[in-house]
Formats: sequence, C-alpha cells, structure tokens
Amino acid sequence: MGGGDIVFGTGALVAVGLYLVSMIGVGYYARGKRETNSMADFYLAGRSLGLLVLFLTLYATQYSGNTLFGYTGKTYRIGFEWTVSILFMFSIIVGYLLYAPRLVVLARAEGFITPGDYISFRFKSKALTLLSTIMMIYALCNYTLAQLKAMGAAVEGITQGAVPSAYGIIALAIIMVIYETLGGMRSVAWTDVIQGVVLLVGFALLVMIVPTQLGGGLDAVVEKLREIDPTKVQVPDGNGSNTWISYVLLLGCGAAIYPQAIQRLYASRSLQVLKRSLMLMAFMPLTTTLIALICGLTAIVVLPGLESVETDQVLARILAMVMAQSTLGYWLVVVVFAAALAALMSTADSALLSISSMFTRDIYLPYIKPGSSEEHLTHVGKAFSWLAVALLVGVAIGTEKTLVRLLELKFEVLIQVVPCFFFGLYWKKLSGRVALGGMVAGLLVALFLTLSGNRLPFGFHAGVWGLFVNASVCLLGTLLVSEKTEN
Amino acid sequence: MEHRAFSRILSEPRSVRWIWFVYLLLYAIAIPWYWPEGYIGPTLMGFPLWVAVTLSAIVGLACWTVFVIYFFWQTSEEEEA
Repeated sequence: MGGGDIVFGTGALVAVGLYLVSMIGVGYYARGKRETNSMADFYLAGRSLGLLVLFLTLYATQYSGNTLFGYTGKTYRIGFEWTVSILFMFSIIVGYLLYAPRLVVLARAEGFITPGDYISFRFKSKALTLLSTIMMIYALCNYTLAQLKAMGAAVEGITQGAVPSAYGIIALAIIMVIYETLGGMRSVAWTDVIQGVVLLVGFALLVMIVPTQLGGGLDAVVEKLREIDPTKVQVPDGNGSNTWISYVLLLGCGAAIYPQAIQRLYASRSLQVLKRSLMLMAFMPLTTTLIALICGLTAIVVLPGLESVETDQVLARILAMVMAQSTLGYWLVVVVFAAALAALMSTADSALLSISSMFTRDIYLPYIKPGSSEEHLTHVGKAFSWLAVALLVGVAIGTEKTLVRLLELKFEVLIQVVPCFFFGLYWKKLSGRVALGGMVAGLLVALFLTLSGNRLPFGFHAGVWGLFVNASVCLLGTLLVSEKTEN
Repeated sequence: MEHRAFSRILSEPRSVRWIWFVYLLLYAIAIPWYWPEGYIGPTLMGFPLWVAVTLSAIVGLACWTVFVIYFFWQTSEEEEA
C-alpha cells in the first residue's frame, strides 16, 4: 500500500496490532493441540481438517495480497480485459478435478506429506523428484517474496512512513514464522480461518463502499469509463482472447498444483469434506476477484493518470479517499486493511510451511541426513522456516518489481511440474526419464522466451509454450518407449 | 499408473468425456473471442454486454462444477466417512 496516503490513528494501530498478536495466540493454542511429533501432524495437522477450516484455509491461501493490490492495479492498467482473472481463478478448481480424485486416495494409502513424496513414489526417479522440488521451492519463494514486499508497503503506508517498509516486513515476517513454527499446519490453517473471515468481510465492504461512494455506482463508473477511455471497456482483440486461454491454462494448471494446495488436499479429514470445500471454492472468484476488478475500474475513473508501479497502489489510494469521508469510512478502511494483511499473511505462511516441508522431506532426508527420525525432521523443518524467512526478508527489502510480473514468472516454472500429476497419475507407461526430459525441455523453452523478452508469443505465456513442449515430449517419449518395449 | 487404492474410486470426472464437452462449451462462451473487434455493447447490470455474458458463463461453470463433483467424483463409503 505504498500510496502513503492512508494514515491510521493510535486506536486503529492498536486494533491492527491486537489482531496480529492474536495470531501468535492461535499458534500457542495449536501447539497444545498437537497429537504426536510426526511430520504428518506438524505439516498436515494430522490429516484432520474439517469443512470450515479446510474451506477457509484453501480460500485464504488461494486469494493473496496480489488479488487485492496486484489485480486492482492490473484492472487499472487494462480495464475490463482483466475479467479474465475471475475465469482463471475459477479454473484452478477444474485443474483439481483433473488429478485430485486419484492423488487423494493414493496419498492416504501411501502417507504422502509433500508433492515430492508422490513424484518419488510414482516415478522412482531421484533426479525428477529433486528437480521438481527445487522448481516448486523456487516458485513458492517468489510467491512469498511478493507477499512480504506488499506487507512492508502496507505498514509504511498506514504509518505515513514512520515505520519504514523494511521494518514492516521484518515485524510481520517474525509474527508469521512464530505462529507457524509453534503449531505447523494447525496454526496456519486456524489463523487462515480468522484471516479468511476477515478477508471475506473486507471484500464485502469494498464492494459496498468503493463503487457507490466514490464512483456513484457501477453504472456511472462504466459510463464514465466509456467516455474517458473506451479501450478499457472494449472486448479484447484476437491476441487478447489467446491470452485469456493462456491465463486459463497457466493458472488453472499451475495454481492447482501449488504445493500448499496439494498439501491441503492431503490434510482433509475425509473426501467428503474436500469435495464440499472445492464446491464452495468454485464460487469464490465471484465474491473476491470480481470485487477487485470493480475496485480497479472505479480507480480508473476517480484517480486518472497513474503510471507504472503507482498503479499497484490504486487500492491504497482509493481507500485513503474513503477514509477521509467519514468516521465510519475510517473504521471500514481499518477492517479492509486488516483483510489486506490477512490476505498477505495467510498466503505467505502457507507457502513458507510448504517450503519447509519440501526442504526437510525431499532434500534434507534423502541427501543430507538419511534415516533421521520424524521428530528430528520436524525440528529441522522449524529451523529451516526461520532461515528461509531471514533470506526472503533480505531479498524482499532489496528488490523492485510490480506484483503481477512476479506472479507470472513464478507460474512459468511451476507449470512445468504439471505433467507429473496430470499425466503421471493416469498414464501407466510415462517413465521418470521421459517426464524429466519433458520438464527440462519445457523449462528451457519457458526461460528462453522469458529471458529473450518474448514473453507472450501469439498471446500465449512463455510458460504455456514450455508446457506444450513438455507435454509433447511426454506424449512422444511414452509412445516411442512403449513401441520399443513391444518390439 | 495402477494402484490398489484406485479400486476405491467408483467414478471420477476425468473418465466421463461428455463432462468435458460441457466445460469446453462453457469456456467457449466465457472467453470473448466471438464478438466484433472493439465491441462494447449495451450495459447489463452495470457491465458491458460482453462482460455480462462472460460472467454468466463463469456462474454456469461454477454450477456445473458443483454438479460434476457431487455426481461424478465418488469413492467407496469408507473414504466418504
């Protein structure tokens, strides 16, 4: 919220502070509820998450700070074309349908904790498991980084620079890592319940306040937009439609195999609970992403002329305008700000917990100290969380990029792991060697296109071109290998 | 791949082809490739017509997904418990 125009009084700062400290209280409570010192208990809450907790943790994890700040900023830049964000956030649920039914029963039967557990079990390839784990950790670090940077900007904004961004990042990261290491997935999921509710309330307030109080209603906003910038109301051109398809593939496939999402599939109490949670999640883009879109559109009308990094601050700026209007507006913005912090922290803590589990289970256990006890691994995981946070905070304090660009770079890499799940669970003959070949080829294509600056050939993202090559290698490789075997 | 645990799956969406034809149709409506270039159209519930059609298709997709999960993702009773 680097707009710097939202300034909270002492009362509001105390309220936000209490809200943050309550997260640590939840962490202590979760620590008391642990049943064993096993990794399944720490990283998957003993596979005990019920409907309310699972739904809200899926929701709070999936909808990040990027949904609030990045998506309003992107809408400000491209207008109604960003309606695609509602479609691609929905598509994540379709992505689950393509692999979850099999993965969930397999995970329960074999006791998987990380996505790497599945890849190792399915392909029996150390190289494939290691590469995919490194790629998933890279993608999650990138994701966490974006959340940390936004946290810093938010704190700097509400204190009018009295607390610099770097201190904000450090303070919030410490709170996050404390409650995470206290109770693992239980802490993260239970804090997600609070954060998810705050986030839902925040979005409800946003849609009630922003278009009506500032823009005179959605009709008036759209009418004004038609006058001042009709390109932002028009249907996307030919390449624009290709980019929509690309976003659906990139997010629908990529975000469905987020390690923290996969671990939530593992952590559900029963399949019935998981299915009901996913049914509810199918509607959440309409209560969340659509509202971010409406706020971004209102901002084009009421705050014209912003450019570049400033555009990721439009939400902060329109909130500052609401705040200045009345005492009620002031306190509504306090709640929305708490929702913003909730969105950032709930996503970052889940990613951090996944990073810690993947490092411990898929790198430390096989390569650094084989034969370690579950208790030792859990301790190592906690220590690694602190180390990872320290490193990420260091990087977050020293980099500059807009939020949506960070998000896209993450998916270019993550999406190359998709064939291991979407094909691996169904194609008996897909071998580890072929899957590795596809992954490397896909990764090279995605990186080459990204680094050469050609990130959207024919409207499709570099990662989607990489996935196409990756999937082709898997298909042709499997056909050739089966033919050879038959001969 | 094959695994004894898969015998618990009574039905899964991926193996029912017509489910995906409906998805394809709804996605084809949601993605605005068929409108004339530069089209805006009248406003419907505050949104330009093409956006209103896309949003309606997304609501359709969400409802369809609930139907698919409810009726076509089934495992044996012990898993459901």
